[in-house]
Amino acid sequence: MSRSTLPTAEEPHTVAELEDLAFELRSKLLELCGTYEGAVHIGGDLSAADIFTALFHYGLHVDPTDLRNPARDRFVLSKGHAAVCMYITMAMRGFFSYEGIVETYGQLDSAYGMHPCKVQLPGVEASTGSLGHGLPIAVGMALSARGRGESHRVVTLLGDGETGEGSVWEAAMAARSNKLGNLVAFVDRNRQLMTSFAEERVVFEPYPDKWAAFGWNVVHIDGHDMAQLVEAIDALPPTDSDRPTVVVCETVKGKGVDFMEHNLAWHAGSLGAADLERAMAALLASREKESV
Amino acid sequence: MPVTFTFGEFLGARSVIGSTLAELGEEHDNLWVITPDIGATLVEFRDRFPERFLDVGLAEQASVGIASGLAYDGNIPVVSGMLPFLSMRALEQIRTDVCYPNLPVKIIGTHGGLVGNGGSTHYAVEDLALMCALTNMTVTSIGDPLMVGEIIRQSMSMPGPIYIRLAVGKKDMVLYEPGQHEVRIGKGIVARDGSDVTIFTHGTTVAQALQAADELAEDGRSVRVVDMFTLKPIDEELIVRCAEETDGRFVVLEDHLAYGGLASRIADVAADRGIRLTAFERLGIPQVYAGFGEDEQLRDKYGYGLSATVAALRRAVAA
Repeated sequence: MSRSTLPTAEEPHTVAELEDLAFELRSKLLELCGTYEGAVHIGGDLSAADIFTALFHYGLHVDPTDLRNPARDRFVLSKGHAAVCMYITMAMRGFFSYEGIVETYGQLDSAYGMHPCKVQLPGVEASTGSLGHGLPIAVGMALSARGRGESHRVVTLLGDGETGEGSVWEAAMAARSNKLGNLVAFVDRNRQLMTSFAEERVVFEPYPDKWAAFGWNVVHIDGHDMAQLVEAIDALPPTDSDRPTVVVCETVKGKGVDFMEHNLAWHAGSLGAADLERAMAALLASREKESV
Repeated sequence: MPVTFTFGEFLGARSVIGSTLAELGEEHDNLWVITPDIGATLVEFRDRFPERFLDVGLAEQASVGIASGLAYDGNIPVVSGMLPFLSMRALEQIRTDVCYPNLPVKIIGTHGGLVGNGGSTHYAVEDLALMCALTNMTVTSIGDPLMVGEIIRQSMSMPGPIYIRLAVGKKDMVLYEPGQHEVRIGKGIVARDGSDVTIFTHGTTVAQALQAADELAEDGRSVRVVDMFTLKPIDEELIVRCAEETDGRFVVLEDHLAYGGLASRIADVAADRGIRLTAFERLGIPQVYAGFGEDEQLRDKYGYGLSATVAALRRAVAA
């Protein structure tokens, strides 16, 4: 079975270009977090920013001008509270207008809110937000593709905290039982729940082994290393193979802004003008440090 | 292979589900059947369309979540299982993954009411209250086994979700001659006409209501029996008409909690439409977790068996 004929991003991006895009995404996230008065789930947006960038600008075969193209890869955001990160990534990829997001986010009748709604925002594949729901939905989509003999991939992004939900493991068993090699789950392993650090109250380790025990093909990478993300995407098994793949991405909640990193206070929050300036400076400093 | 049955015979609604789905599978190449380990009734479909049959094992949440994913992708999924588990364990998936995006997922199941002698873990007694609360959900409860097939068939063209409740489905009384009544989702069926009092019911208690009506006939009283098999959207016009034509005398009988099911739906319509009722009697399960026993014994014990129904009709007529 050959891969979807739909192209990925217009130009195959180099790792350096993808890193630039991830930086731009983080800047835009902070901008929104600084202008919107309500809470933005900035910690889990920043931890997932590199994964989103690698998927939408490199890995996923999607067409922003043809949202219902049957050959498109399906992306289900299981960690629905990272909706802003998805909206902005998709805007950068040409799906939506970034200005439209910033100007209307969270307001009455806006299509852009805290958790994605497919009905209000075509282009989003599923309405999510309640945790533990995305993987079962993705399994259904992967079965559908199999049933029709289609060769696209179904990709979902989960948070590690969310994998405490039993429904995730019900779906993990179903995916293996039905040999869904066309299904890929990325896990944003940022090791923080809303009010505690992973392993502190909830023990997830040995984490990749849990997925392996469910019969999944397990890839374990640094979720902030763009080269590793690209490599993991390149190495995904063919869609007619018989094992689902999980890419466990080790990440840092709040990544790129030093005062947000590893800080439970920044699960969700709002930046005032002064803090926005401080956050932008921190993001820039982090980038300079990493490029040395 | 159309099979004909006549009034009063017993027939397994479960076998009707199986044969209907197998027929529909032929007509709709996007029809899927998913079950959490309750596949005995679905063998016919499974054998004919193994590639569109999925038994997920003991995993109700996944069964509905997967159905959602299939429906997002343009398929028509039927989830078939035991309703106490589907309606509660997978309630959030039904609400958030199916009703919120308004997807055409059909939830079909058995064990609605105090049936099957499984004890309170295995009785779905709150399910209609839960399902009626969900925006976009159509809610049905079917007694006549032949109607089950007709409702499943009609639901194929619905853009949104539907909940189809059965009792045990092993042995159900055929209530209507085929073609005797127009069966349409959203429209109640006047199973027997009458002018002194209306008894509204759904599911297996339709048969009991008809029996009670027979007893009242011996008193010289004329009882209208309405099979309100669609609880949502409720047939408001029929309720209004029954109030006018049977002097505002209503009895509601159901194998469900007495509060939260059909009686509550009708009381809402009466309040909203300003219908003045002369009598309103609710017969259903009280706030208890019922124990074991045969269906009829439990109905008698909890006050909604045949004799209680006859007594309620007499009170309503005398009010």
